[in-house]
Order: sequence, then C-alpha cells, then structure tokens
Amino acid sequence: MLGLVGPNGSGKTTLLECLSGLLAADGGRVARDGRPIAPSERRDALFYMPDGILPWADQSVAWILDFSAALQGASQSDVAEITRALDLAPFAARRAGTLSKGQRKRVLIALALLTPQPVLLLDEPFDGLDLRQIREVSPLLRRVAATGRALLLSIHQLHDAARVCDRLVLLSDGRVVGEGTLDELRARAGRPGADVEEVFLALT
Amino acid sequence: MPSPNDAPWRRLLDKDRRELAASWAWLVLLVLLGPLVGHAFITAVDSYAEASGASGGPAALAQGLSPLDGIVVPTFGAYAIAVTLLFPFVAIRLVSSEKQSGSLKLLLQSRASLGVMLFVKLFVVVGAWLLAWLPGLAALALWRAYGGHLSSAEVATVLLGHLLRATLTCALAIAAASLTDNAATAAVVTLALTLGSWALDFIAQVRGGVALALDAYTPESALRVFESGEIRLAIVIVTLLLAVAAMALAVVWLHPGRTWRARAIGTAVVIAAGAVTTWLGAHVRASCDASEDRRNSFAPADERALAAIRDPLLITVYLAPEDPRLADLERGVLRKLRRTMRDVDTRYTARGGTGLFARPGEHYGEVWYAIGGRSAMSRSTTEAIVLETIYSVAGITPPTPDGAPAYPGYPLAARPRGAGLLLYLVWPVVVIAAWWWSKRPRQLPLLTSS
Repeated sequence: MLGLVGPNGSGKTTLLECLSGLLAADGGRVARDGRPIAPSERRDALFYMPDGILPWADQSVAWILDFSAALQGASQSDVAEITRALDLAPFAARRAGTLSKGQRKRVLIALALLTPQPVLLLDEPFDGLDLRQIREVSPLLRRVAATGRALLLSIHQLHDAARVCDRLVLLSDGRVVGEGTLDELRARAGRPGADVEEVFLALT
Repeated sequence: MPSPNDAPWRRLLDKDRRELAASWAWLVLLVLLGPLVGHAFITAVDSYAEASGASGGPAALAQGLSPLDGIVVPTFGAYAIAVTLLFPFVAIRLVSSEKQSGSLKLLLQSRASLGVMLFVKLFVVVGAWLLAWLPGLAALALWRAYGGHLSSAEVATVLLGHLLRATLTCALAIAAASLTDNAATAAVVTLALTLGSWALDFIAQVRGGVALALDAYTPESALRVFESGEIRLAIVIVTLLLAVAAMALAVVWLHPGRTWRARAIGTAVVIAAGAVTTWLGAHVRASCDASEDRRNSFAPADERALAAIRDPLLITVYLAPEDPRLADLERGVLRKLRRTMRDVDTRYTARGGTGLFARPGEHYGEVWYAIGGRSAMSRSTTEAIVLETIYSVAGITPPTPDGAPAYPGYPLAARPRGAGLLLYLVWPVVVIAAWWWSKRPRQLPLLTSS
C-alpha cells in the first residue's frame, strides 16, 4: 500500500487521473512490469475511484452495487462479502443521493473493491469516515492488498497515511519531495523519531 | 430483472432506463405531452368538422378532405414542438448527469465500451420517445371511434418521419452534452442548432442555391416530406447518417482522457466521413408515395409514359426562390418528375427577381424543358400543361387516362368527445401516478440474501 501524501492542491488527484488515463498527461509514461501501458489500456490494469463523486444518486445502494458488480464481472458472493465487510446492509435500500458523507464513501470503497484490476487508485478513501470507520476500513484494505492487489491511496491527512500505508510518496506543488517508508523519510529529513507531520514539513 | 451474467449493454440498458424514469425532465415532458396533443387534436377535429360542412360551409370543400392533412399531421404536430423544445433536455440530462456526478469516470473504467454506452443511451431515449407517442395514438384511436377514416400507410409514414426526427435530435443532444461541460451549455448548443436549421430554412426560401439543397435535410424540411405521405429514401439515409456522425462525435469528445490533438483529428475524420457518406446518400433516388390520394405521384398512365423516356430531362427554371410560382411548380410537378423519371436535372437560374427594386431578366418566369436536343418553354406551373410540354419535347403521344377512381375524400363532422378528459386530465394523472409508483421502496435481493 503506497500513500500519496500532500496538502490540498499538491497534485494528488491530477496524478491519479493521469495514471488512470482519465486525464491527458503532458508527458511521462505508465509502465507495469517494465511494459508501458497506453492510456486506452490503463483500464485493464488500474482502477481509479475519485473522491467526492455521487454516482447514480437516484438509484438505491443495492442496485448500484449489483450494477457495478455485473459491469465489472464480480460475482454476487463478492457483493455480499463486501456489503458485510463495509456494513452497507442498513442503508442498502436507500437512494445514494440521501446518504451521509461517510456512508457514501463506504459505498465508493465497495465499488472500488468490486473491480478486477490489479492496481487500485483510491482518492481520499478516509475522507468523510470517522475514526471508528477508518479503523474498520483500514484492515479491510490491508486484506485486499494481501491478496496481491496494489493500492495507491491519495491521502491529505498525514497521520492516516502513516498508519495505513507501507510506503509514502510526499507531493508538494506537483513535485515528489520524498519517497520511502516513514523511517526512511525520517532519515532523509534528519529527524529521527519525528512524527510524519514534522517529517513532511522538514522535506517541503 | 437483469441477470448477473448479462452482456454489458443489457446492464447499461437497464441503468439508462432507470435513470430516465427517475429524471424530472422526462416526467415533465410526458405530462406536458397530454395537453399539447389534446389541444392539437381537439382543434384539428373542430376544424375538420367545419371543413366537412358542420357549420353550413360549402359542400365542395368536403370533397377531397384528407385525414392525413386534417387530423394526423396536426395532432402529431404537437410532437414536433416537444421534440424541438423539450426532448433534447431529456437526452442531455442522461449524459450530463453522468459527467457531473462522476458516474462516467467509473463507467469508462469498466468492460463496457464508450460507443456501446452512448448508443444504448440513444436507444433508450428514442425507445422512450415511442412511449411518449401514446397520447397521439390515443387521439387517433378516438378519431376512429368517432367514425373517422385513417390510412395506416399514411399514419406509418408520418410516424416514421417523427421517429427519424427524434433520433437525429437525440443524437445531436448527446453530441452536444458530450462536447460541453454541463447541461446548460449543451442545451444552448442544441437550441442553437435548431435555430440554425430554421435560419437555413428561411435562407433557402429566399436565396435558393446550395442553401436549398441543404435545407431538404433539415429536421423541419425532412418531416414535411413524410407529412405529405412520401417516404424518400435519401432523407431516411441522410438523417440516419447525420445521427451516426453526431454519435461518433460524442464518442470522440466524451472521454476526458483524450488530448485536444486526438479530439481534433477524430472530429476531422468524423466530419469528412459524414460529409462523403451523406453526399452519397443524398443521391439515392428511391421513394414511395404512401399517400392515399397519390398526391406525390402522377396518374399511373403518365407515370408509365414518363418512365419510358430514356433520355435525360433538363429543366431550366427562370424563377426566383421566393417566387410562389416556383413553390407551386416544385410541389405540383418537379418533385413528382424526380420520383418518376430516371434522369432529371433541374437548374435554377434566377436569383432574387421579385423584390421591390429587383430587375428580373428577360427570360424571367420561363421554364424550359429539354430532352435529347429538343426543347420547349412553358410558363405554366400546372401539372397537365407541363406534362403536355414534356410529351411534346420527348416526341411521344400523351397517354390515355386509366380512368382510376378519384380520391373520394373523408369528410366527418364530429365533436372531440372525451379527448379533453383523456388528454388534459387522465394522461397527466396516469403519468404522475406511474412515476410515483416507480419510486416506491422495494425489497432488494441484496438485503434478503445477506
């Protein structure tokens, strides 16, 4: 699990959209196992779940999950398992447009987990979740990563990133200012024992 | 209920059907169609009754009365208004809402292709438009119940015209929604296209020339051909090709990950391919006269005689586009000749010859007919005189009329009983009730299985 960390406006979402092929990039390339992937082929390898979207607001949560699973080739048992893991059943009959921010975020995470792509790009997966929900979702993401899927999480809350991710990429003004585990970043910043916020401030 | 193993297009079909049913734009359109069609139908029935002598009018007027002109066209005229001013918003909403809500970004990463997604939307919206015909069809059923006559071929022809127009409008609306950032801008673009086609219509009537050739394929002009009971294959082909081109443009522009260069190249390719194929399609000459009174055809004997003329017919018309004699000649003779003869070349040489300060040329008002080196002039726009001139130029004897029975006309002095109740009240209530019923909470398999 790789955390893309940076303040608002640092370019996290833009980078994820470029990676997924949903935004035309001015330059650079995306490669998997050393082989470049054209933008038109990215959807075979990567799935990007944007932040703040409200898909099919007039439809029920259950229908959205069922529709997305069918379109992504996921099974009904996958839907049931993810519904249980994210505790979606209490509001599955409600229209998506009536959900709270946290409920909506859990639905979006569920939609992402129903996809078959080996790389998941999640934009602000904890935004809108309370502490208890973050503590429930984090192990779920870890279990997904343990199945062999790579997760790239864009997170602006540095402590959340440090708690969940294996490695971090620090972004500032669209540039990478640091990369590695938290210990490696501490060493690079010359601040052993510092918390992630101090490390980030030291490197930017 | 769709199955989990359905092909993507079937799931998309279900999704767009649900999204359409949930949209306010669609609900408002359906509700408004009742009063729109009701007013058109009730006015048409009253006018038809007056023309049929209900209020002591001249008896001769009732002869030759056609339900096509008197009932079918005005009743479905309500749909022409709706398809221009209301229908585009339904199609725009289906695309723009997915762009703005972020749903599109999820769909673009699924196994469904963008082309399939857009064509499913077109299919759903046009299919829904067929549902919107229910008030119009109910009005025609009422007309039959009053004892009125209807020709199924004429009704089918008018419906085909409306279906083609709705298909093109929907495709253009989808393209506009794909090209623009939001629904409001897409609506402006769509209305601009409508206004543009009206402007072209006006310019064609005044200036003629290229504008007149292009005007034949604007939605309004194309519909008028079907409303006259003629199915012109070139119009069917060109309309469908324009719709396909609009959909192709939507495919090029809707994907947010395409560079401007890729979009520009794609647009150029679509425009070039569209121009070539529509130009070729416009040259298809097959047509069918579905009108019961054969208003788009000559008498059978004349058709046989004209079809036997092998040499090309060159017609040189010295009439300005705005001259009413040209409209008479076009409607009464020229379009029938094009349907009947193998090779008819019409040249319009006068431009603006009837204005206040215009100085028409010395040949103004003449129409020359030339076949195989022989030519003759006539100033008449009357069918019989023009045909006599053509037979004389072609050197053939005018055929003897077959004595086919004349169109009898179908006068009917009926009152529009029940139409107001059905279309002003029952239809809107039924639509709103059906919409409310579709929104009710349902038991979901996901809940019961978990």
